Amino acid sequence: MSLLRRLLRDPVAALGLVIVIFAVLVAILAPWIAPYPEDAFESHLLQRLREPSVEFPFGTDNLGRDILSRVILGTRNALAVALSVVLASTVIGIPIGLAAGWKDGWLSDILMRLTDVFLAVPQLILALALGQLMAPGLGTAMVALALTYWPFFARTVFAETRRLRGALFVDALAGIGAHPLRILLLHVLPNAAPAILVRATIGMGFTILTAAILGFLGVGAVPPSPDWGLAVAEARQYLPEAWWFPTFPGLAILLLVLAFNLLGDGLRDAADPRLRRSRR
Amino acid sequence: MHRAAFRSLFLAALVAVLPLAPRDAEAQQRPLVFGDTMPASLDPHALFDVPSQFVLLNLYDGLYRYQGNPPELLPWLATGHTVSADGLTWDFTLREGATFHDGSALDAEAVVYSFRRLLRMNRGPAGAFTPVLSPENVTATGPLGIRFVLSRPYAPFLSAIPLVAIVNPRLVEANIRDNDFGTAWLSANDAGSGAYRITPQSYQARVQLDLTRYREHFRGWSGNRAPIEEVRVRPVLETSTRILALMRGEIDVSDSYTPPDQVERVNRNARTRVARDESMRTFIIRMNNARAPFDNRDARLCFAHAFNYEGFNDVILRGQVVRNGGPNPNNLWGNPPDLQPYRFDLARAREYCDRARAAGAPLGREIEIHIQSELDQTVQAAQMFQADLRRLGINLRIVPNTWPGITGATARAETTPDMWIHWVSTYFVDPENWVGQMYDSQFHGTWKASSWYRNDGVDTLLRRARASTDRAERETLYQQAIRQVVTDSPDIWVYNTVNLRGLSRRVQGYQFSPVGSGGEIRLMWLEN
Amino acid sequence: MLLALPALLGLVVATFILSRVIPGDAAATLAGDAATPAQIADIRARYGLDRPILEQAIIHVRQVLTGDLGNSIFTGRPVAEEIAQRLPATLELTFAALLLSTLLGVPLGLIAALDHNGPADHLVRLVSVAGLAIASFWLAIMLQMVFSMELDWLPLRGRIDVALGLPPRVTGFLLIDCLLAGDGRRLSSAMLHMLLPALTLSLPGLATIARFTRSGVLETLQKDFVLYARAAGYGRFRLAAIYVLRNAITVTVTQIGLLFGGLISGAVVVEAVFDWPGLGTYAVQAILAADYKALLAVTLVVGVVYAIVNVVVDVLQAVIDPRVSDGTR
Repeated sequence: MSLLRRLLRDPVAALGLVIVIFAVLVAILAPWIAPYPEDAFESHLLQRLREPSVEFPFGTDNLGRDILSRVILGTRNALAVALSVVLASTVIGIPIGLAAGWKDGWLSDILMRLTDVFLAVPQLILALALGQLMAPGLGTAMVALALTYWPFFARTVFAETRRLRGALFVDALAGIGAHPLRILLLHVLPNAAPAILVRATIGMGFTILTAAILGFLGVGAVPPSPDWGLAVAEARQYLPEAWWFPTFPGLAILLLVLAFNLLGDGLRDAADPRLRRSRR
Repeated sequence: MHRAAFRSLFLAALVAVLPLAPRDAEAQQRPLVFGDTMPASLDPHALFDVPSQFVLLNLYDGLYRYQGNPPELLPWLATGHTVSADGLTWDFTLREGATFHDGSALDAEAVVYSFRRLLRMNRGPAGAFTPVLSPENVTATGPLGIRFVLSRPYAPFLSAIPLVAIVNPRLVEANIRDNDFGTAWLSANDAGSGAYRITPQSYQARVQLDLTRYREHFRGWSGNRAPIEEVRVRPVLETSTRILALMRGEIDVSDSYTPPDQVERVNRNARTRVARDESMRTFIIRMNNARAPFDNRDARLCFAHAFNYEGFNDVILRGQVVRNGGPNPNNLWGNPPDLQPYRFDLARAREYCDRARAAGAPLGREIEIHIQSELDQTVQAAQMFQADLRRLGINLRIVPNTWPGITGATARAETTPDMWIHWVSTYFVDPENWVGQMYDSQFHGTWKASSWYRNDGVDTLLRRARASTDRAERETLYQQAIRQVVTDSPDIWVYNTVNLRGLSRRVQGYQFSPVGSGGEIRLMWLEN
Repeated sequence: MLLALPALLGLVVATFILSRVIPGDAAATLAGDAATPAQIADIRARYGLDRPILEQAIIHVRQVLTGDLGNSIFTGRPVAEEIAQRLPATLELTFAALLLSTLLGVPLGLIAALDHNGPADHLVRLVSVAGLAIASFWLAIMLQMVFSMELDWLPLRGRIDVALGLPPRVTGFLLIDCLLAGDGRRLSSAMLHMLLPALTLSLPGLATIARFTRSGVLETLQKDFVLYARAAGYGRFRLAAIYVLRNAITVTVTQIGLLFGGLISGAVVVEAVFDWPGLGTYAVQAILAADYKALLAVTLVVGVVYAIVNVVVDVLQAVIDPRVSDGTR
C-alpha cells in the first residue's frame, strides 16, 4: 500500500490514476450513461452530420449517430482490447523472459534470438498482414498486437531475472536446494513484479494507440463498432466541414493513453527509481 | 481572427528558415494534372479493370471504340467489318496510314500479333474471347485485312473488340525475357499508337506517369483547336484528399466517385465543378443462393424488401444516383419496359421472412455481409442494412474484406460469403456484361456470377441471346430472362451510378462515356 | 553482430509463411475483373502458386539469397526496382523526423532540466508524455485540417508541387536532388511539403529525446565534478551547455535504434494520410492487392534497414562511450 501512497504524492501520476479510474467506470456503466445507447448499431439518416449542440454535445456522424454516445461506448472496447492484449503478452513474454534470463546457454540464446526476430518485424506491418490473414476484426487485431507486444515483456523480465539471479537471496535459496522453478516463481517473479507492472501500464496505453491505428487502417474493429480509430477513419471524407467527427474520438484516445502513460511513469518512480532509464 | 495577419507571420517565419521564397509558380502554361487512380500495370493485355481503360484509350487504339453517352460503337483503326451469315467469320478492314509512336506502320500483322498475344497470355480481357476464339483463328488476309473465325456464334464479340489494344509487335518482341510475352517491359513502357505517348523516364508504378501528345495520331487533331500537350498523371490515394487537391488547383481531374456529400461544395468553388453523367455502373448486394437461407426465395424477397433504397440513394447519396431495379443498368437495351423495382417495406419483408421461417429457412443464424473496407459506400450500405434487418430479428454481421479477398473466395460456393457488396462496371456495352455473365450458371466460379443462381429457363434464354446475331430477337430474349431473374430475386439491385467526376473549370471538351469514364484526353483542351 | 543474420533469415521464412496465407488470391487479382476460373487456374500454375507451400517457401528463400526479390504479382515489375524507387522517400521522411525530434527535443529537455520542478519543467513533461500518447493518424488529420484545409498555409499532400515536378533523379532523396540541381524553388516546395508529415512523425521521438535529455542533464548537474565546478564559480547554464551536447548525442544515438522501428510503423500511417509515395503506402497497396511478393520484400527490406541501423548505433555507442559493450540495450 505504500506504493499507492507514494504514487498519490505525485500529482501528475495521481491525475493519470483518476482518469484511468474514470475511464474504467465509464466503460462499465457505458450502456447506462450513454445518452443514446442504441446508437452503437442504429442509424438515423435524417440527422446526419449535425454539429455539436445541446442535443448532441459532440455532434452526429455520417449515419446520424450521436458521437458522444459512441465515444462512451467505445471506451469499453478500448479497455477490453488493451487488457486482453497485455494479459496475453505477459502470458507469453514472462515465461520466455524467466527461462532465458535464468541461465546462459543455448536455450537462452534461442529464446532471445526469437524475441529479436519478433522485434525486428515492423510491428504495424506484421499486424496488418495478420489482420488480412485471418478475417479482419477486433479478435485478429488483438492476436496481432499480442504477438508483437510480448517481446517487450520478455526483455523486461529477462533483464530483471539476470539482475536477480546474482542476488544473495537467490544464491542462498539455491544453496539450500530449492527447485529453480520455485525460486523463479516465488522469489524472482515477485521481485520483478514492479518492472512488469510498469511495463504493463505503459503497454495498456501503447496497445490502445496501436489498436486505434489498426482500426484506422481498416484491419481492426469492424463497423458498426463504436471504435475510436474506426470513427476517425470514417470521418476523413467529411472534412473539413464535419470537424467534430474525428476530433472527439481522437481526443478520447489521447486522454486515455495519456492517463496510462502518466500512471506508468508515476508507478515507475514510486516502485523503483533505478528503473528510470529502462523506459522505451 | 485575422487570418491574413497570422498567415503572413507564419509564412515569414517559414521563409526565414527556408532558403528561398516559396510557391506561386508564374503564369507558365500548366500541363493537365490527372488525379484519378493509376492502373497497376501499363500492359494493356495484362490488366482489365476500370483504371486500365485510361491506358487503353490514351496510349493505344483498338479496331473499334466506344464514344459518347449512351455509348456508340464506332469504327476506329478499322474502317468497318463484315460478318458471315452463320455469325462465325468476322472480317475487319484496317484503315491506311495509322502509325505507332515509333513511326512504324500499324498493319494487319500488328493486329493479329496483338490478338494472339492477348489470347496466349490469357489474362485480363482475354476472358471475353477465349471461350470462342483460339489464337490460330486470328489471321491476316492482306496488309489491311484481319479475319476472326469463332468456334461458335457469339453476338457480344463486336462489343468486346474495343477491349483489345493493338501493340507494336517489333517493340514487344525485342523486349521479351524468359517467355514473358514482354509483359515486364510493357508494364512500364509504351508500344502504342494512341493520341498520347509516355514521356520517357517519367513512369513510377502507381505514383506518376507523364504523357506527351502524339501529333501524328491517325485521327488527326483538327477536331481540337488547342489540344493538351502534356499530361501528368498523379493519383491521389484518399478520396477526401483528392477532392481538396482538386479544389486547391493541384489536380485538374479527380476520379469518377466524388462523394455525394461533397458535390455541392466542389460546385460552389470558383475553380471547380462536378460533371454529372448517368453511367452504367450498377451497385449490387449479392446473396449466396447456394446456401441457406438464401436458397429460399421468400428469404431472398424478405431481404430485398428490407433494404432502404430511398434512404440510401436519396439521403446518404443525396440523390446523386438512379434507382435500378434489375441486373442491367436502366439505360441499356434489353430491359423489360414495365419492370417494377422492389421497394423498402418492412411489413412485407416480415411477411416473407415469416413464410421463409415456416419453410425452415435458418434466418436465426448470423448472416455475414462482406464489405470492401476501403470503399466507404459499401460500409455505409451494410451498416444501414444491418440496422433495418435487426428490426426483423435478423442478425447481420459486417466482415471487412478486400476485392482480391472476395473474388478469390467466390471461386467456390462453399467459400463465397453469405452476402457481399460491389459494383459492376462497363467493360463492354452489351447485356452480356451484366445479366448474361451474372445469371448464366456456366459462369459459376467467377465473381460476376457469385450469387450461384441457377435457373435452367434463364440459362437457355441467355445462351440463345448470346448466340443470336439478330438484335431484335436478342432484345426479347433478354427481356424474358430479366423478368424471370427479377421474380426469383437472387440479388439486391440498388442503383445505377451517376458518374460524378470532379473537374477544374479550365478543363473543356470533357466527354463522358461509360467505357473509360470520360478519361479520353484527346478530346479536352484547357482554358486559362 | 553476425547474430543479425539468423534473425534476418528467420524473418524471411516467417514473413513468407505469413504472407502466403493471406486469403486474397493473387491469381484472381492478376487475372483481372473478367477472369474465368480456367484463366485463374492457368495463372496459378504459371506463377507456381499451386505448388505446396513448403516448396514455394524453399524456392523463395533460394531466390532471396541470390538477391532476387522477384517480380510484383500485381504490377509485373521487379520488386527490387519498385522498392528502390520508393525507399528514398520513406528514408528521407524518417530522417527528417529524426532530425526534428533531436533539434526540438534536446532544447526542450534542457530547458526542463534547468527549470527543475518549475513551470517549464512541468510543461515539457506534459508535452513529452502527450507526444507518446497522441495517435499519429489523428494528429496528421488534425494538422491537415487546420493548416491545409482551413487556413491553406501548407500543402495538403505529396512530396512536391505537381506543377514543378521532380528534379532530375540522382539519389532519389528529393532534398538532395534539388540541392544537386541547384534548384531553390523545388527545394523550398519540397521542404514545405515535408513539414507536416515530418512533424507528425517526429513527435514520439521528440518526446523520448526531451525526457532523456532532461534526466541526463539533471544527473550531470548533480555529479561531483559539476559541484566542484559550480563551487569554482561556473554558472549552471555554462555547465549545462558544456555537458549537454555530449549528453544529447549519446542519448540520441542510443534512442535512434529503439525509435527507428516505431518510425517505420509511424511512416505507414503518415504516408497514408499525406499521400507520401514511400514504402508505407507501397506495403498497404501490396496488402490490398494480395501481392505477396511485394509484401515479403518490404518486410525484408525494412528488417535489413532496421538491422543496419542497429549495427551502426552499436558501433557509434562503442565509439562515444566505450563502457557500453554487452547488449543490455
